[in-house]
Amino acid sequence: MSMNFSSWFSPSRAVCPMCGNRHTQARIGIANPLKHPDPRRIIDSLCGSCRHAIPWIVYPACRICGRAERCEDCLRRKIRHYELSRCGVRYDKAMKDWLALYKYRGHEGVENVLAAMLAFAFERLGEATKLTFHGITAVPLAPERLRERNFNQAERLAQRLSEWYGLSYSPMLLRLRHTEKQSLKTRRSRVTDMRGNFAADPAVLFSERASPHRIIIVDDVYTTGSTLDECARILKQAMPNRAEVYGLLWARS
Amino acid sequence: MKVVLYAVRERKGWRARFSVAWEADAAYWGVKAARIVRVTETLPLGIAVRACDIWNERLVGIERGEWQEQRGQGQGQGGGLAQGLAEEFEKVVRTAWELAGEKREALQNARVETGERGVGLREREKVPLAGWIQVVSDLLMGRSLLREEAIELLASALPADCTIDSLALLQHAALAGALQLTAAVAPRPAPPPRHGLRGWISERLRAAPRRRRAQDLACRRCGSGKDKLRHTPCAACGRQACAYCEACLTMGRSRECGLLVIGVPRLAAQAMPIAAHQIPTKEMLSERWGLSPAQSAAASEALRFLAGQEGDAAAGIRQRESQSFLLWAVTGAGKTEMIFPLLDAVLSRGGKALVATPRRDVVLELAPRLVKAFPGRNHAVLYGGSPDRWANGALTLSTTHQLFRFQEAFDLVLIDELDAFPYHNDPMLHYAADKCRKQDGVTVLLSATPPPRLQREVARGTISCARVPVRYHRHPLPVPVRLASPSIAHLLRKQALPAKVVEALASSVRRGAQVFLFVPYVKQVDSFVQLVRSYADKLGIPAQAIAGTSSKDEERTGKVVDFRNSTTRLLITTTILERGVTIPRSDVFILDAHNPLFDASSLVQMAGRAGRSADDPFGFVYYGAPSWTDSQRNATLQIRAMNALARHKNYLLV
Repeated sequence: MSMNFSSWFSPSRAVCPMCGNRHTQARIGIANPLKHPDPRRIIDSLCGSCRHAIPWIVYPACRICGRAERCEDCLRRKIRHYELSRCGVRYDKAMKDWLALYKYRGHEGVENVLAAMLAFAFERLGEATKLTFHGITAVPLAPERLRERNFNQAERLAQRLSEWYGLSYSPMLLRLRHTEKQSLKTRRSRVTDMRGNFAADPAVLFSERASPHRIIIVDDVYTTGSTLDECARILKQAMPNRAEVYGLLWARS
Repeated sequence: MKVVLYAVRERKGWRARFSVAWEADAAYWGVKAARIVRVTETLPLGIAVRACDIWNERLVGIERGEWQEQRGQGQGQGGGLAQGLAEEFEKVVRTAWELAGEKREALQNARVETGERGVGLREREKVPLAGWIQVVSDLLMGRSLLREEAIELLASALPADCTIDSLALLQHAALAGALQLTAAVAPRPAPPPRHGLRGWISERLRAAPRRRRAQDLACRRCGSGKDKLRHTPCAACGRQACAYCEACLTMGRSRECGLLVIGVPRLAAQAMPIAAHQIPTKEMLSERWGLSPAQSAAASEALRFLAGQEGDAAAGIRQRESQSFLLWAVTGAGKTEMIFPLLDAVLSRGGKALVATPRRDVVLELAPRLVKAFPGRNHAVLYGGSPDRWANGALTLSTTHQLFRFQEAFDLVLIDELDAFPYHNDPMLHYAADKCRKQDGVTVLLSATPPPRLQREVARGTISCARVPVRYHRHPLPVPVRLASPSIAHLLRKQALPAKVVEALASSVRRGAQVFLFVPYVKQVDSFVQLVRSYADKLGIPAQAIAGTSSKDEERTGKVVDFRNSTTRLLITTTILERGVTIPRSDVFILDAHNPLFDASSLVQMAGRAGRSADDPFGFVYYGAPSWTDSQRNATLQIRAMNALARHKNYLLV
């Protein structure tokens, strides 16, 4: 029992799930752009400075990929296999650190926060398309990478999203090859290297259930969109009926 | 990761083990023509470790003769020993899953395979293997490493002609008893058996049949308990709730299915104990290391403690009981010089010593001095990103977080600035500091301001302690003067400084001193610099000579340099400069000294910035606050007590 009487009457101090500092909940002054109560509560649990650090993409300048700035890539690209995509935040220095904390250091306690940020992208996607979606899936990891990291970040985020918004999650893709880190490559080699990396998971796609025809693919970061495009191509090829594929990304670099 | 669970027939009975590289075990037991039974399915490491514990606990039961009849029944029903053991295994593995809090279904297709004999090693292969095991155990001795770290170490240190897989090599070494393999997060080991009545009661309770309860998990690397563990689904072992430790995440992830490699120290490597007559006298110490009388008195007391004795000559010398020794030396006493004789005593007898300091820049500053003092010894300098990462040195200098990577490695562990961040209030680092000491080793704690708990232990006499009550220049510590002044918030609101404070600052400037002005919060620094600058004329210095810095300031190093060479005369700062900064001629002002952020130890440390050099040993210290609080009173009392002790022992020059 605390001997400090004044602490009994002071506002309760929660631990920020991101930075681990104790703080009193800052409700006033910082906008929370989410609508769904569960992710909204998670964003509320962050401390003031962490909430300030989130660079939300509220008004995407590119109608296709959801980038916050004018986007040359989408103009340049002639064939696109996905319909459109939305991203939660800009991929700046702070977000890079947050993702590294989760993905490479393996701090799974921040998973909720990242999922809540992805939920914002989902709400933007819903606004932009006004459609209902039949299924959600994630960009897979190669088996050896999965064993090394112990989890697939995109899959975890997609599952969390499916719980909140009542979507049906299923793994639809397989990763055949283990490629080098995407961030170390040039734009051209990214696109060509991506060929043959993925395959459709036959167990899911050709089950007796009518395969869903509006599908969301989840990934963590969109850089050139080559991963998303390749996944969309594979999925559309594998679907018997005409499928539409949408992208949902945590951050846009 | 997943491992193979098996049991081997030994003299006492069947002992369960797990293997991270089955071919190594098959070969090892094959040579011995031992009888093996194993579970065909690989199991998550966390489950296998629990299963081994449960199984081997029963071995104790066999010795007592309690379990024999149960086994006999098993044989009778199933027909044959193999069947009985298979049933036992099923039962044990199922209990392990239950204790781990997961569903039984996961076990469905675990089968037990009996009678397997290893292929055995051909004689040709056996000889080099023994050599490699020796190399591996030397490399990993005293370490406590995660699987990735151990493999990285082996990859960097093993010669290229070693063709054996690293994991298999680790398993071979573990079988040979050169090291231990375990899960990085595992049930907390049972406390050592107690003696006397309590021991008898707990023994009785253990003997009584009772439902087995889930033991609390703990991180075996940092000692954190279940409140720091998080259970998540794991792709590496396939469990739904595999725990990992969030407390030591910065040093790589320690998890329930992650392997921890612990290098068991061998008995041969122990240092020779120091015989009492070999302890250098005070005169020898001051001659060889240039120590002052107070320093050499404390150092020789510490040396006596290393040799296994405690208590001072007056009160009677006795055998030491604890393993920690506190070297309580006032600020500016010259702690670094005092540790040299201690290190020398351990190193010259072939022991291993560690110096742990909280900050990386201190490590980098101290390293060349230690190399100079102990030429010809192996040094390892460890910090985040250090090139010596896997080096084995007789003398290791490290930041505190690197201690997690050691276990029972050092004969002497020196911990500098025990009361400073990050040690202060961090049980994890204390656990690490204890863990890296050999069982018969000694920890020496260095501090100018021991935390209250330790001060109480000193007063009670439960910890041995040597005080150095005087600075190396043998002048008394400046005693703080009380300066009644309104709070900083008030001063900033009024945009005015009280006349008393201005007068004191001006007189310090007039006598040519550099002025430290401490404030509690970072956000107050800039506005307070503005306020003091408006008084620049009255202080008689240009406004540019007044500067401010804090932990958020990126030009901090440059500003401290400016302050050192007198370009800046008055530096407004937060507690970031309370330690480790030595400015020859300086006075100290602490405003808002009543703020709870300034506890007694930080007030003593800040006061310790004044009068550090022999040229100007009498600096001034002012505590400016609207009220006189307990911490201010305690700080002043501590300083006065040290001065009185110095006077009593005749250490002072005047």
